[in-house]
Amino acid sequence: MVTLADGGIDLFIPKVYDIVWSLIILVIVALFFYKFFMPKFNSIFDERAEKIEGNIDKAKKARSDADAAKKKYEDQLNQARVDASKITDDARTEATKIISDAHTRADKEAEQITANAQRSIASQQQQAMVSLKSEVGTLATALAGKILGSKLQDSDVQTNMLDDMIDDLDKKMDSTK
Amino acid sequence: MIEAVGANMLLASSGPDLPGVNDFLPPEILFQGTPFAINRIILIRLVATVVLLVVLGITAARAKLIPGRWQGLVEYGIEFVRNNVVYETMGELRGRRYVPMITTLFFTIFVFNLFGIIPGANMAATATVTMPLVFAIWVLIQYWIAAVREKGLWHYIRDECFTPGVPWPIYILLAPIQLLELLIVRPASLTIRLFANMISGHLVLATCLAFAQYWFIEAANKFVGIPVGGLWFVGGFVMTLFEAFIAFLQAYVFAILATVYINLSYPDE
Repeated sequence: MVTLADGGIDLFIPKVYDIVWSLIILVIVALFFYKFFMPKFNSIFDERAEKIEGNIDKAKKARSDADAAKKKYEDQLNQARVDASKITDDARTEATKIISDAHTRADKEAEQITANAQRSIASQQQQAMVSLKSEVGTLATALAGKILGSKLQDSDVQTNMLDDMIDDLDKKMDSTK
Repeated sequence: MIEAVGANMLLASSGPDLPGVNDFLPPEILFQGTPFAINRIILIRLVATVVLLVVLGITAARAKLIPGRWQGLVEYGIEFVRNNVVYETMGELRGRRYVPMITTLFFTIFVFNLFGIIPGANMAATATVTMPLVFAIWVLIQYWIAAVREKGLWHYIRDECFTPGVPWPIYILLAPIQLLELLIVRPASLTIRLFANMISGHLVLATCLAFAQYWFIEAANKFVGIPVGGLWFVGGFVMTLFEAFIAFLQAYVFAILATVYINLSYPDE
């Protein structure tokens, strides 16, 4: 037991070679960790974080792009809708205008046609009247000749009768006018 | 030394080959008598260093943006030290400077401790007083540097030893204790906690296995020997798992205390 106690004290007394080797090992291990191991893993961690952040950024950008595109399409759609309704309105206005124009024109034409017809009727009436007058004159003359031929003896009577007839005709003509 | 060997041989001849203090004071096997002498524990430490550098070196060299399982585990370790040890204790702003240091401490101590349960080594690479002491002195230097940079040497000593708001007669007692704390107690506690944990772990584990071996093979009565030896073996198995946990726990404790000590050098916010 005495020997064990002696050894026990020895345990706590560093030996020179032990110190030398421990220091060498510590320096080697520390250099390894400081110069290689930690920088390597830190760069890995950084790269990983960067990549994750990059992906998040990318996703954000894609989303904002998509939103922008959606907004653009919606705007375009709205614009198209507005345009379409405007075109419809325009067309409707145009159609109304065309119809009313057509109406106006048709009315005018109809009036014109009516007027023309009336005018032609009037002129034809006039013509008919004129030809009737002349024919009546001829007829009357012929009739008068015949009457004159057969009943010339009473010439005064004849003349009076003829004059009366012509007067009557004149009167009739005047009244129709 | 000779007496100790004699005592051990005596023990061996009469009972199980129990571990002793001499396990931690192995003879030099290479470059005897020079400052570069190598004994069994230092050899284990060199092997552990090579394993640490090769495994983590390959992991780092092959590190990809999308980690595999092993890289994920290593990254989990790095993030654990960074977030749960350093940033949680001292905040990100102060802590960033110390992340490589604390990571070095945590990973190195963890791997060195694990060699206590690796077959063939069966001895933690941190199981001499020197390796934990060297780590602790590194921490000591760092928190003094931080103190001088952040507060100035005099302000730091005044704040720690002559804490404002304490009646002056107390300083007679307080000042030396605090100075001792800053210079000796902190590194000594870091060193002894780690070192003693590794020693006791090895002793308990080796004792279990020595008794298991003794009862299995050397006991005359096999009807008693095999069940008792089996119990000792189960004990050794459980202790192995426990030592794996202790390997992590001591690395964590060392890392977090180192962070706390450095943080204490900064002025209060």
